[in-house]
Amino acid sequence: MRLMAIVDAAVRIPGLEDLTMYRSTASVPFAGRYRLIDFTLSNIVNSGISSVGVFPTNPFVSLLDHIGMGKSWDLDRRKDGLFLLPPTQLNGGHLSVGAFAALEEHKAFITKSRRQHVVITSCYTITQINYQKMLQAHIESGADITEAVSGDTSLKSYIMSRELLMELIDVYKEKRVVSVEDLVNLKKKPYTYGRYEYEGYVAVIDSVQSYFNESMALLNVERWSELFLHECPIYTKVKDEPPTRYLKGSVVKRALLANGGTIEGSVTESILGRAVMVKKNAKVDHCIIMQKCVIGEGCDLSYVIADKEVHIESGVILRGTKENPVVLRKGERVLKEDVG
Amino acid sequence: MKTEIVAMLLAGGQGSRLKSLTYNIAKPAIPFGGKYRIIDFPLSNCMNSEIHTVGVLTQYQPHVLHNYIGLGTPWDLDRRNGGVTMLTPYAAMGGIRWYDGTANAIYQNINYLMEHDPEYVIILSGDHIYKMDYGMMLDFHKEQQADATISVIEVPWEETHRFGIMNTDEKMNITEFVEKPKDAKSNLASMGVYIFDWQKLKDFLIMDNENEDSSHDFGHDIIPLMLGKGEKLVAYPYKGYWKDVGTVESLWEANMDLLNPESGLNLHDPAWRIFSSNPQLPPQVVTETGYVQESFVNEGCVIEGEVTKSVVFQDVYIKEGATIQDCVIMSGVVVGNGAKLTRAIVPPSFNVPDNFEVGSPEGEIILLTDEIVEKWKGSGEHAFDGNR
Repeated sequence: MRLMAIVDAAVRIPGLEDLTMYRSTASVPFAGRYRLIDFTLSNIVNSGISSVGVFPTNPFVSLLDHIGMGKSWDLDRRKDGLFLLPPTQLNGGHLSVGAFAALEEHKAFITKSRRQHVVITSCYTITQINYQKMLQAHIESGADITEAVSGDTSLKSYIMSRELLMELIDVYKEKRVVSVEDLVNLKKKPYTYGRYEYEGYVAVIDSVQSYFNESMALLNVERWSELFLHECPIYTKVKDEPPTRYLKGSVVKRALLANGGTIEGSVTESILGRAVMVKKNAKVDHCIIMQKCVIGEGCDLSYVIADKEVHIESGVILRGTKENPVVLRKGERVLKEDVG
Repeated sequence: MKTEIVAMLLAGGQGSRLKSLTYNIAKPAIPFGGKYRIIDFPLSNCMNSEIHTVGVLTQYQPHVLHNYIGLGTPWDLDRRNGGVTMLTPYAAMGGIRWYDGTANAIYQNINYLMEHDPEYVIILSGDHIYKMDYGMMLDFHKEQQADATISVIEVPWEETHRFGIMNTDEKMNITEFVEKPKDAKSNLASMGVYIFDWQKLKDFLIMDNENEDSSHDFGHDIIPLMLGKGEKLVAYPYKGYWKDVGTVESLWEANMDLLNPESGLNLHDPAWRIFSSNPQLPPQVVTETGYVQESFVNEGCVIEGEVTKSVVFQDVYIKEGATIQDCVIMSGVVVGNGAKLTRAIVPPSFNVPDNFEVGSPEGEIILLTDEIVEKWKGSGEHAFDGNR
C-alpha cells in the first residue's frame, strides 16, 4: 500500500499517425481485444496498486470511453481508485514519459496522496512487470530513481519517492529537463540512478512496423502464453459479445480471434478483433483486422492492418508487405474500383 | 416514480434430469452456448424489455447463482431503485418454511411485492432458452384488459402430452388449462411466463394459501382457481425460439441449435443481446494444427486439435490430435492428445485423458463423468459408446 501509479497516456509516437488520428497512443487496439493502456493498468492492479492517476491527451474521448471509471480494473473505488487528469491549459501530448508540465498541472493529486512511492509509467511498452518487486529492488538499492529495463531496452517505467517527485515538479525548469524520462536519460545530478532488470514478455510499440511485428509474434503460442498469464490476467472493457462463430467452409490456421466474429472465409496468420465478419471465399492472410470490420466475399488481403469498422467490399484485392503493411484508417470503406 | 412491473424469476429448481450437471448447482446456473448460463436469458430479456426490478427466487444449491448474479451489474440491475434482489426461503415468526410450489414461493415473498407495489407482476422461470420482449406481452395484457396473461407457444401436436396446454376461444381467452393431456384439444403450450395484475394476484395467492389441498403451483392451482372465479385470462401467442433444457439431450440439442442458422436461435443479434458475466480472458488461438468447422468457440481457448459442429466454452485447451465432433465442451476443460469425443457433453474443468474415446455418430448423448473415464481405464482403454 506504499505505492501509487502515474500513467502517462499522453506520449505521442511519431509514425503511428495512421492509428492515432482519432485516439491517443494509449487507446490503440492490440491483440484483438485490448487497448495498449490495458496492459499498463493490468500490471498496476496485478501489483496491488489501488491509487492510479491517468494523464491523457487529446483526442481522449476514445480513452475515456474505454476506461470509464476504471470498473474493469476494479479501480472504481470510494477510497483512492482511478483518477483521470486531463490537460487543463496545455495543448497536450509530448514525446517523453512523465512530462513535468503535465504533472505540475495536477500537482494536488501527488501532494495529497499518502503513498510513499510513485511509479511513473507509459502505455506503449507492453510487459508483465510486477511493480512491488521493482519497488523492493528500488528500496534495497538505495537509488533515488530506479528505471525498469530488460537488457538494453528501457521499459519506460520509473520508481521514486513521492517527495522526490514533488521536488522535481518544483525544480524541473532549473534543471533543464522536461520529463522523468529526460531526467533519467541525462542522469542529472545530484540524484542517483538505479536499474531494475525485468525478465519476461516485452514489446515496444513505437512504429507501425513494430506494431505489426509484435502483433504477429503473438501467433506463436509460446509468446502468447508469456503475455497471457493465468495468475496475472489482462483486464479490458467487457463487451458482451457472443462466442466466435465458425461457419461451414471456414479455414482458420495460426490465428488469434476475439469474440463476436463470424468466419466463413479463410483466416491465416492473422489477428481478428471483436465482431469481425469474414465472408465467403474471402482470404485474410498476415493481417490485423480490428473490431467490427467487414471483409466482403472473395476479398484477398495480405499484410493489411484494418482499423475499427473498416468495410471492404466484395472482390477487393489488397497486398502489403511485411516491411510495409497497408494501413486502412478507422471507418474507411474500400471498393473494388478504389484499388483498381 | 412508481414501479409499473416487477419480475419474479423462479430459479430454485433442481433439474434432476440433467444428472451430474446439477449435483452442485441449480438448473438456471447451467452453462449454455459457449459463455452463458440459462438464467442469462430471462435476465437479459428483462434488461432488453426495460424491466428494472427483479426478484430472483432460489432454493436448491443457490451459492453459484448468488455469486454469479451478485449485484446484477451485467444486466444493469445494480440500481438505486429496484434492481435485483435474491429471495431465498427464510425464517419468520411462524417458523422456517421452504418454498413449496411455484405459487407458494411467490406467496412467501408477498412482502417484497407489497414494498414495490407495482401495477403488474411478471412470473418467469429460469429454465428456458428464448429471447422475448416482455414489454410487448405487457401491452397485449393491457389491451385485452386481462387479469392474467399467459404466454403460449405452438408445439407439435405429438408433443402436447409433455406440456401444460391452454385451450382458448377464437379471441385467445383461455377456457381451460390441462396439464400434460393425452388427447389435447389445442397445441398451445404454456411457456411458464405469466403477467398478473398485482392486486388480483395477491388475492388469489392468499386464497390459494388457505387451501390445504392445493399443491401451490401456478399451472395446477392458481390458473384453474382464477378460471373458476370467472377472471379474464388470455393467451399471448409467442412466435420464435423457445426451449426447455430440462434433460441432457435437450441441453445438447439447444446448444446444437446455435450452430444451425435455420433454428431461429441467434445470439449474434446486436438488437437483442444476451448479457452475462464476462470473464477476462485473452483471445482464442487456433494453431497450425488446429481445425474448426461449424462451431462456436469462446475466448481463452487454445485449439490444436479438430473441432467440428461443437460448442466450446471459455478457457478450453484442445490438444493436438484430439477430435471433437457434435460436442458441448464446458469451460476450463482440457482434452488430451488423440482423444476422440463424439456427441458428448463435457462438464466444466474436466480433464479428458490422452487417447480417451467416447460416443458414436448415431449414439446417445453422453454426459462425461469420472465414472465413465474410470470404466474406460478399467476396460483396457477401449472406446465407450454409452451402451455398455
